[in-house]
Amino acid sequence: MNGGGPRSPSYIMDLIAENILTILILLPVVGALAVLGHQIFWKQESQLKWVTFAITLLNFLLSLVLVFDKGAVSASGFHFEKNVPWISAINTNYHVGVDGLSLWLVILTTFIMPIAVISTWHAVEKKATAFYIFLLLLESAMIGVFVSLDLLVFYLFFEASLIPMFFLIGVWGGKDRIYAAVKFFIFTAIGSLLMLVAIIALYFMHADATGVGTFDFVTLLNTLKLGNMTFSASAGAFLFLAFALAFSIKVPLFPFHTWLPDAHTEAPTAGSVILAAVLLKMGTYGLMRFNFTLFPDQAREFAPLFIVLAIIGIVYGALVAMVQPDVKRLVAYSSVAHMGFVILGMFSFTEWGMQGAVYQMLNHGVSTGALFLLVGFIYERRHTRMISDFGGLANVMPIYATIFVITAMSSVGLPFLNGFVGEFLIMVGMWKSTILSVTATANWNYIATMVAGTGVIFAAVYLLWMIQRVFFGKVTNDKNRGLADLSYREIGLMVPLLFLMVFMGVYPRPFLEATHSSVTEIQKRVMQRAGGEIDHAHVPGPSEEKTEAHLEIQQK
Amino acid sequence: MTENNLLSLIIFAPLAGAVINWLVGGKLKNETFSGLVACGAIAVSTIVAFMLAFGIGTPHAGALYADKPVLDHIWTWISVGGFRADFALGMDRLSGIYALFVTFVGLLIHIFATGYMHGDKGFYRFFAYLNLFMFAMLTLVLADNFLLMFVGWEGVGLCSYLLIGYYLKRDEAREAAKKAFVMNRIGDWGVLMAIFLIFTLTGSISFFDKVVDGEQVQSVFTFVTQNMSADPFTWGAIFAGGLTSVAVLLFIGATGKSAQIPLLTWLPDAMAGPTPVSALIHAATMVTAGVYLVVRANAIYQFAPTAMWIVAVIGAATALFAATIAIAQNDIKKVLAYSTVSQLGFMFLAAGVGAFVVAIFHVMTHAFFKALLFLGSGSVIHGMHHEQDMRRMGNLKKYMPVTFFTMAMGWLAICGIPIWAGFFSKDEILYRTFAADNYFPVSDFPGNKVLWAVATLTAVLTAIYMTRMMIMTFWGKERFHEPLPEEGHLLDAASAEEHAFAHGEGHGHEEAHAAAADDDDEHHHELPPDFKPHESPWVMTVPLIILAFLSTVGGLVGIPYAMSSLVGAGEVNVFEHTLDPVIAKKGEHDGHSAPSASGENEVKHFYASAPAVPGAYDPHSPEVIQKERLLALLSVVLALAGIGIGFALFRNNPLRKMPKILEQKWKVDEFYNGYIVDPLTSLSREGLWKGFDLGFIDGIVNGIGSFVKELGDIARRVQVGFVRSYAAVIMLGAIVVLGYFIYYGFKLVN
Repeated sequence: MNGGGPRSPSYIMDLIAENILTILILLPVVGALAVLGHQIFWKQESQLKWVTFAITLLNFLLSLVLVFDKGAVSASGFHFEKNVPWISAINTNYHVGVDGLSLWLVILTTFIMPIAVISTWHAVEKKATAFYIFLLLLESAMIGVFVSLDLLVFYLFFEASLIPMFFLIGVWGGKDRIYAAVKFFIFTAIGSLLMLVAIIALYFMHADATGVGTFDFVTLLNTLKLGNMTFSASAGAFLFLAFALAFSIKVPLFPFHTWLPDAHTEAPTAGSVILAAVLLKMGTYGLMRFNFTLFPDQAREFAPLFIVLAIIGIVYGALVAMVQPDVKRLVAYSSVAHMGFVILGMFSFTEWGMQGAVYQMLNHGVSTGALFLLVGFIYERRHTRMISDFGGLANVMPIYATIFVITAMSSVGLPFLNGFVGEFLIMVGMWKSTILSVTATANWNYIATMVAGTGVIFAAVYLLWMIQRVFFGKVTNDKNRGLADLSYREIGLMVPLLFLMVFMGVYPRPFLEATHSSVTEIQKRVMQRAGGEIDHAHVPGPSEEKTEAHLEIQQK
Repeated sequence: MTENNLLSLIIFAPLAGAVINWLVGGKLKNETFSGLVACGAIAVSTIVAFMLAFGIGTPHAGALYADKPVLDHIWTWISVGGFRADFALGMDRLSGIYALFVTFVGLLIHIFATGYMHGDKGFYRFFAYLNLFMFAMLTLVLADNFLLMFVGWEGVGLCSYLLIGYYLKRDEAREAAKKAFVMNRIGDWGVLMAIFLIFTLTGSISFFDKVVDGEQVQSVFTFVTQNMSADPFTWGAIFAGGLTSVAVLLFIGATGKSAQIPLLTWLPDAMAGPTPVSALIHAATMVTAGVYLVVRANAIYQFAPTAMWIVAVIGAATALFAATIAIAQNDIKKVLAYSTVSQLGFMFLAAGVGAFVVAIFHVMTHAFFKALLFLGSGSVIHGMHHEQDMRRMGNLKKYMPVTFFTMAMGWLAICGIPIWAGFFSKDEILYRTFAADNYFPVSDFPGNKVLWAVATLTAVLTAIYMTRMMIMTFWGKERFHEPLPEEGHLLDAASAEEHAFAHGEGHGHEEAHAAAADDDDEHHHELPPDFKPHESPWVMTVPLIILAFLSTVGGLVGIPYAMSSLVGAGEVNVFEHTLDPVIAKKGEHDGHSAPSASGENEVKHFYASAPAVPGAYDPHSPEVIQKERLLALLSVVLALAGIGIGFALFRNNPLRKMPKILEQKWKVDEFYNGYIVDPLTSLSREGLWKGFDLGFIDGIVNGIGSFVKELGDIARRVQVGFVRSYAAVIMLGAIVVLGYFIYYGFKLVN
């Protein structure tokens, strides 16, 4: 059993398990090449979807290794860690690893990809080769984002994810696709450029503090934890905000959200699904992974701002969603509201809120991804998404209507469907948070939760109002009379999502337990104020004084 | 702690029924199969509920007699950082009584529905929803913690939504379904916030003390009674984040679920659903969930005098308000709907004055007689080929004797005629309100007497409108073919909707007939000239008879001592005796001192002298008996007077014109639409979306974009595509920004 020969199956299995993250990143790239090759040699565009589907499915199955075989835990708390020098001149490494925070996000990515591919079965009419290549490259980039532990590598993946999505929207999108794609690009690129500056600044500051510049997240974190490197007030604020801006635009946090409705509405279905399910999570993931751990003091300092913006986003997104005439735009605005909840939970800095936020990222991926798929189904049939063009669809498409209602209920946060658990934990976290001040006249944590809680009411309003107008009543538009109900392919696509909605709603424990230790680690780090090792860093010790003085002199 | 895994069967049997009907019933499309599965599932629940409640064939004492609840831990649902919510059930005396009448009345209504829904295309779908509702309702009732109760709470809301909107093609049905869900959600917000606050205050959300996974879990109520003291009676207490805040937030939830002011307008609209649904959900079970919540949390309410006051006032106000509307409605189901709202008001009044047990007593008797009245109206509607407007009925007692006779029992019960069930519970509420003398601890104003007067007036009105309904339906001459009075002058939206509803279809009958080909709808067609109403089949009349029997004798389990001693019997109030342990006892550790001089002490003992606490209220003292008998006599006289007035007013003139404002329901809907819904919608559309998003933010973005593009156009020599030019601009901008920040970054570190 143990120690099979170099060629034995167990040896190969071990090899796969050991390099699983690299394989997950590279397999789609290889797949993209295969798609290209297939097209060059066989010129059978209709087979490409099969190739792509097979690759994404294989990637999903491989990614399950992460769940079932946790691998060895490194000292830094990461599983399946790989750290290989890449560009030694600037001391950047190919450093990847997965922990509780990123685990489910990687799985979510690999899980949603095959579904996105099947959803395009009949939808891609032009340039299918390029389409599938972009999809696969996008998958690589997204997985890379979630597992990178080197800031420069992270940045590269973060930017790399932008390009395929830019083209997916710009080439295969709807009527205003160019505007949407450019808007998407401008918003996100500006944010991430700032982050690049901050990353470079961190490199030099680390060099300044320890003599060695590094992009390595784990090294940076350790240096910070040991108090060997500190930030002046202005530098800390700059660095925090540079990272935070990049991530907030991605989330998107109010008021940076206006690219999202355009991008979603114009993107092809697969693009919308991936955008909603995975791309937005890169923002919330980044905030939690980098902002909270590298700049805990600043995170606490700026928390009230983010909480206020998150709450505005929740209410605002819901109100605006309510009056949208286009179903897809409505779902897009609902994303703004839902992601507001995620931000709210994270910035409560409580275990409940942060666990809830991580869980809600997954829930949002499943439910909103499903909603976009459903909107895609009807768009393929009618080539319109305007609510006013429909009415009474439940009479002609009962299965579709049923699935739509269940999915909407999950998005509304009905208990025993997934959305509820996340939103509930987030609100418990905010309620019990200590980050907002408690004054003599008002407990702002309570008030914040109460206002955010109205989002739960509005969610019911906009989704049910839309359902009422689209599905119930008599069939008013003759074009809708002959619509075919969902095909087996479409039902098959929805079944895993529906299963997850129910499973994650009634039995969230395995998910929450897997994220528990990583999330509490981050929570402790961000809340370490007085006492503990970090505290020493705050009392101006010799090293800090030196650094501060040093900086001041340098700035003069 | 008593464990019994049978308990989960009560909730899972209906769930299984729903799944089977959905998956298999949908394929078979066989009414016998669907009906048997659905009724069988509820029958299982009913049998198990009776076994556990009375201890029949169980190793432990029945939940109704035992000191400890019967528990069943199924799995740990959420457990994060000290917050634990189990999927666990508990049957104590309170949930035991609820489970009994919910399953039993539910079973009768299921059986009735097999007859009522006969021939409906969506038969299997209907019963799947109905079973799903039973699952949610029983989860609500049997949950052993606030969060699982909330699951049921939302679940019944969902099923209510699905069942109100069951007739997919009816415009008013889908509108009503949405309205019901949204109004319930507003209430749910209150429950959610209350749960957060409860967890913050007590560190638990469990209803019962128990041990799970080797961990001792303390009940919220034990914690409250042992470690906390009563809030003062002040308005500030509502916002103080203490028990009063919890109580008020919970009550917001209760107003949503139980259709109290201000969230009452969804319930009458909900009558767009099939009539068995109205009977089951919107009369007997779901709408009483608010009362259940308040009584379940009575330990909290007793420490929150301000909240108690609010509950009582809202209850009394709703009772009167809804009764005034009921008197002017022409749709038989609307009358009953407003009557339900009014009766729910009575229940909250009882809870608000501290008579929690009486509130539950009224919940139970009301479940019997209101389910009966609704099913009776269903039978009438069935016999009248889906005519719901009472102006086109009359003299039905000739054609539907069983329905008439059973409904008459319900009528006598709701009017409060002695020995019928409603008499005992309603009279007890009136008396306890009258006796709650220390009700306004901050002033000498006899507030409880005002509430009593309001409730008494409502009782008279109840007798009047119920009599009107009975006369219009069963007496007088036959008006089956008479055209309805012209109502074209009612132009406002809600009345138009109402009008359309009265006709049974949105846009007149021609269109209805046009659509009749693919119609699975319960709506009224023009009756043939030789039309004769018919009595309903036995599956419908047998449940009516059983419910009529219960409406007649069901009150006998709760006869107060003042009554039973009249005929020489002793203490026979089994109901009160059973539920008494559920009510938290405040005074017990502190003794029942009379209001003392010290103000703080007075607050603490406030409820020690209120009737909620046995000891202070001694039903055996001669003066109490005397007063109670006198008041009972008064309410009997008034009920008879109400019936008399009803006959005098309507016997010869059943179509008497009622005040228009009452017919239009005080225009509450118009008020909500005009002052809340419409402004919010236009703010969202014009202000937020078009103004801020598209105007302001995108304006800035596009402005920058076109400005840079202008620059680019000037600088650019080569012809490039739109995208590429943008890309170039972005690159340019990026380089500038990047350059600046790299410069800044270097400055920072160098």
